[in-house]
Amino acid sequence: MTRYIKTAVTLFLISAVCTLLCAIVNSATAPVIAANNESDRLTALEAVSSGFNVGEEMEGDGGTVSYVIPLTDDSGVAAGYILGLSANGYGGPMDIIASYAPDGSVLAAKLTTNSESPGIGKKAENDWYMEMFLGLGADKPLPAGKNDLPADQSALISGASITFSGVTSALISGSEYVKSLGGAV
Amino acid sequence: MSHMKELTKGIFKENPTFIIMLGMCPTLSVSTQVSNALGMGAAVIFVLTCSNIFISLLRKAIPDAIRIPSYIVIIASFVTVVEMVMHAYVPAVYEALGVYLPLIVVNCIILGRAEAFAGKNGVIDSALDGIGMGVGFTLSLSFIALIREIIGSGTITLFPMGSFSGTITIPGLSESPVRVMTLAAGALLLMGYLKAFFAWKSAKGGRA
Repeated sequence: MTRYIKTAVTLFLISAVCTLLCAIVNSATAPVIAANNESDRLTALEAVSSGFNVGEEMEGDGGTVSYVIPLTDDSGVAAGYILGLSANGYGGPMDIIASYAPDGSVLAAKLTTNSESPGIGKKAENDWYMEMFLGLGADKPLPAGKNDLPADQSALISGASITFSGVTSALISGSEYVKSLGGAV
Repeated sequence: MSHMKELTKGIFKENPTFIIMLGMCPTLSVSTQVSNALGMGAAVIFVLTCSNIFISLLRKAIPDAIRIPSYIVIIASFVTVVEMVMHAYVPAVYEALGVYLPLIVVNCIILGRAEAFAGKNGVIDSALDGIGMGVGFTLSLSFIALIREIIGSGTITLFPMGSFSGTITIPGLSESPVRVMTLAAGALLLMGYLKAFFAWKSAKGGRA
């Protein structure tokens, strides 16, 4: 019996010391991480705003669209929306910030938080990756899969089909959501 | 064995990647860019050295029955520490390494050195073993990444500093890269050739 208690106490003490170490490091790094995340979010919003004025953040549909920010031009007329989109990639959940015109066409998009594979799924972070979606979603549909892409673009996403499916399905959901708003800000 | 030998054995004689063949998962997955390899290498050196020191210090206090759970708890804690520090201070490298950073917890090199060395040897030798094995892993990973990135992308990606963007473009190769080298098939092909080279080199050294 004493042997079991000694074993349990030893494992408890090791775990307690390790937890303390993690807690100390977390208390030092958490504010820096939060500041970095906020800075990244603002940079991404700026990048996808396409030169329009960014309005107040509102709640999305509780599903793929996590938040909505209306865009207006200098005269205050509705110019589109920025949507925070949740997607699923190969490495787990991914966050996308995308801007749409009121007709549902993509103005700009950026992959932010993700755990995709370096050199493979991570390619979706590049500007050239998102350029293949620009202007699509209204008259011309967004690609539903790799087969809807021209051969040169299909080759570029080779090896990362799951990431592509995650990104494009989130952008399609965003486009449908914007169309459902009917241009209301 | 002298302290110096403990430090240097991981670099060639007992290189974890080419000789012992441990840690193949991160080696093949992260070696698409040199900067990723250097970031992963730094994380592994830190975790390996700290966990070796901690485990060596506690080796007489840890009962044999809970040896492996204790090692995992210690290794996971140092991985969590390195993950938080990288997330805060080198977010670009943290994002690039993605899921492979927390997966250091189950990296065979770390648990292997804890079980085979740190659990049986003194603190100084264990620390030197951790540094040597970590440096050996980093050098191997960076070497593989350098070849894969040059041939597969025609670039060498380092870290941006001042006016240097962080990327060196190789004329000719960047326009017509051999894309397979950035994929899993290219990584396995290259690993096979490098393993054959090191096996030949070791055999040649043994005969001499």
